[in-house]
Amino acid sequence: MAFKNWKLKMGLLTIAASVTLTACGDAGGKSGDYPSKAIVVVAPSGAGGGWDKTARSLTKVLSEAKLVDQTMTVENKPGGGGAVFLAEYVAQDKKNPYKLFVSSPPILINNLKKEGNSPYGYKDTTPLAQLTKDYGAIVVKADSKYADINAVMNDLKADPTKVTVAGGSSPGSMDHLISVLPAYKFGVDPKSVKYVSYDGGGEAIAALLGNNADVIGTDISSAAEYLKAGKVRVLAVTSAERLSGDFKDVPTLKESGIDAEFTIWRGVFGPKEISDDEKAYWEKTLKSLNDSEEWKKELQANAWEPEFRASADFTKFLEDQEVLIKDMLTALGMAK
Amino acid sequence: MSVLNFLADGFSSALQWHNLLFAFIGVLIGTAVGVLPGIGPMSGVALLIPVTATMTGGQDPASAATSAIILLAGVYYGAMYGGSTTSILLNTPGESSSVVTTLDGYQMARQGRAGAALSISAIGSFAAGIFSLLALVLLAEPLSNLAIKFGPAEYFSLMLLGLAAVSGLAGKSMTKALIMTVMGLLLATIGMDNVSGVARFTYDFPILYGGLEFLTIAVGLFALGEVFKTIINREYQAGEIAKVGRVLPTRQDLKASAGPIARGSVLGFFIGVLPGAGATLASFFSYIIEKKISKNPAKFGKGAIEGVAAPESANNAASGGAMVPLLTLGIPGSGTTAILMGALIMYNVQPGPLLFADHPEVAWGLIASMFIGNLMLLILNMPLVKVFAKIIETPPRYLLPIIIAISVFGVYAVQYTTFDLLLLIGCGIAGYFLTKNDYPLAPLVLGLVLGPMIENNMRRALTGSNGDFSVFLAKPLSAAFLLVAVLWLVVPLLLKMRGKKVLVNEEA
Repeated sequence: MAFKNWKLKMGLLTIAASVTLTACGDAGGKSGDYPSKAIVVVAPSGAGGGWDKTARSLTKVLSEAKLVDQTMTVENKPGGGGAVFLAEYVAQDKKNPYKLFVSSPPILINNLKKEGNSPYGYKDTTPLAQLTKDYGAIVVKADSKYADINAVMNDLKADPTKVTVAGGSSPGSMDHLISVLPAYKFGVDPKSVKYVSYDGGGEAIAALLGNNADVIGTDISSAAEYLKAGKVRVLAVTSAERLSGDFKDVPTLKESGIDAEFTIWRGVFGPKEISDDEKAYWEKTLKSLNDSEEWKKELQANAWEPEFRASADFTKFLEDQEVLIKDMLTALGMAK
Repeated sequence: MSVLNFLADGFSSALQWHNLLFAFIGVLIGTAVGVLPGIGPMSGVALLIPVTATMTGGQDPASAATSAIILLAGVYYGAMYGGSTTSILLNTPGESSSVVTTLDGYQMARQGRAGAALSISAIGSFAAGIFSLLALVLLAEPLSNLAIKFGPAEYFSLMLLGLAAVSGLAGKSMTKALIMTVMGLLLATIGMDNVSGVARFTYDFPILYGGLEFLTIAVGLFALGEVFKTIINREYQAGEIAKVGRVLPTRQDLKASAGPIARGSVLGFFIGVLPGAGATLASFFSYIIEKKISKNPAKFGKGAIEGVAAPESANNAASGGAMVPLLTLGIPGSGTTAILMGALIMYNVQPGPLLFADHPEVAWGLIASMFIGNLMLLILNMPLVKVFAKIIETPPRYLLPIIIAISVFGVYAVQYTTFDLLLLIGCGIAGYFLTKNDYPLAPLVLGLVLGPMIENNMRRALTGSNGDFSVFLAKPLSAAFLLVAVLWLVVPLLLKMRGKKVLVNEEA
């Protein structure tokens, strides 16, 4: 009861505050007094992976560039490739504008696949903005016998039981799709590829370094630090064109003769029942973030490429990608 | 430069007055975080990240990162020191890693030896902290290479060994201990399965997708169960208030604890190095081993000081061990180290294979400050023992409501759901009836921790081997663990068959 009272009081305070602001004819253009308390950004995975890094960079730059005055913290909610978090979020936070989360294609994949289906998808949330695009990477250990992607593919084609492929999320999820996509396009039955799932990209890299996996499918931002340290070799990236920086020597799948590409977008989502004012606040704030120098530096440091889409565009883009992923899962025999 | 030169540089950075202050604040908050149930080291560190960011605002980036990480790491290992306090005094584990400390610690407190229990856990934590730091300095590189070699097969066999050793937690009846273990394993299957992503036993209740929270169950079973027992048995009317005896451990206590502290430190450190295993397992394993090798295993669970010294040393050593994969590989071994890693990234310091090369001042400054912080904790904790020990003299009619309040606040602070409060009460009632009928609670809690690790790693190993079970024997380390597990079960049976009296198979 105490909690309900407290909520009621907060509500009254909010109303009182907005009334005061309106009465004073506030010309600052601020939408009410939102945000008036600390904001949590959830990374629906363990620490060390792509979502986690995006959430941490996002909160860091928003605070440093003084775009958001309230404290922003990152929470990790691992499990089920994000489905565990989404179920909780839809159940408990659909009216809570102080909890946002970072997501990427898995929010579509989980909603479409048969096994481990998430009953919820992006339609149960409010897409606020797309921030970056990233690409998949096929990675082996630095002293691996595989020098190029075609060597892996030939071995897989000859005997799929001989090659252990690993990734940071469960079968039917993005790491799995990235891992089997080249094989699938190369003419290997994707169902025959041995895929071992770990709890997050960090554990998958540990498995690779410890010789418990031959190849891993991950994203380039998770692989960058290990590539720089000379611990791993990146055989191919899933971008349409060659990347710059640390990955300038890595061929794309297309260059290697495998006709496949996969773009991993990352974006920020809010609760389904977010108010128009709150939505507008985030659209404006995230646009300013995208234009800020601090964010550009952060992107560079993480080898991320910016790609900004505001809420409406982003939602349209998601609708298109949903069709694409559904086709792919159907081809793999994993669609719902 | 040699390791010693780097370490000397680290000390010169850690001994700057502001860094000393940061370390002190960190360990002070850490002790408080450890004492208060609910705010575990993980949420404690997470909450302080923005605060430290403000505090270090005026410094240049590299030294700001050093200061911040010194403070946050102080919270982390400070919490490991403080975590035992409520376990010992109130039978309420503040952290999952001090659940096992309740078994003997609370019994010691009831016998008026709270002071000895608290001070031995501080001394044990200190010794373990220093040991794990020396090991971190000297063995970080080779150990991190070893840790990543530890694949699914090895994890599975190690966890199976832990399960075989569950007899070490049995009370009067082995059968009842096994029943409780299986209960724990079954409860652990509730929720979203991480290997296949399928929801199990959730009956479409989203609240169950994340599984049952370990700490809620432990606090319910141990703390609330004890409260209900006291109330129902009207123990509070006996007017018998435990008196706090001497605060310092006796010479005999120290002598009895030396071995468990040493073994707990070594074991805890190595388990801590393995990503994902962590301090909770370390504390359980060290307790079980002490009981196994003890000349008088019957005294465990009845207030044996070894039963406090070993797990408290082990969980502290494990927090040092967890720094190895974090600093050398950028792989966080536990939830708390994952948050520490996030804090480093905020300062543009990327933990990983390049940390010691790119940011030696941060890495070595942190290590040096941990030596200093451990010393501070020992000095801070010894006088506090006397204060805390007084809590036990509170008459039960005041103490019981306080325990209930702490349990409820603690659980709600971690989970933020009323479901967990209901679960807490349910576990409390279950705890009362189970203890009343001599069902040991610790095996259930251990099963709950081990369950998902056993299952997931077994399935990973089998996927890798195309379903061939011989993978568990083909890997030497894995085979060794399995062999020890088999011996652990078979040797007492053989001894018994040859007519020797063995405690393990005693039936109630």
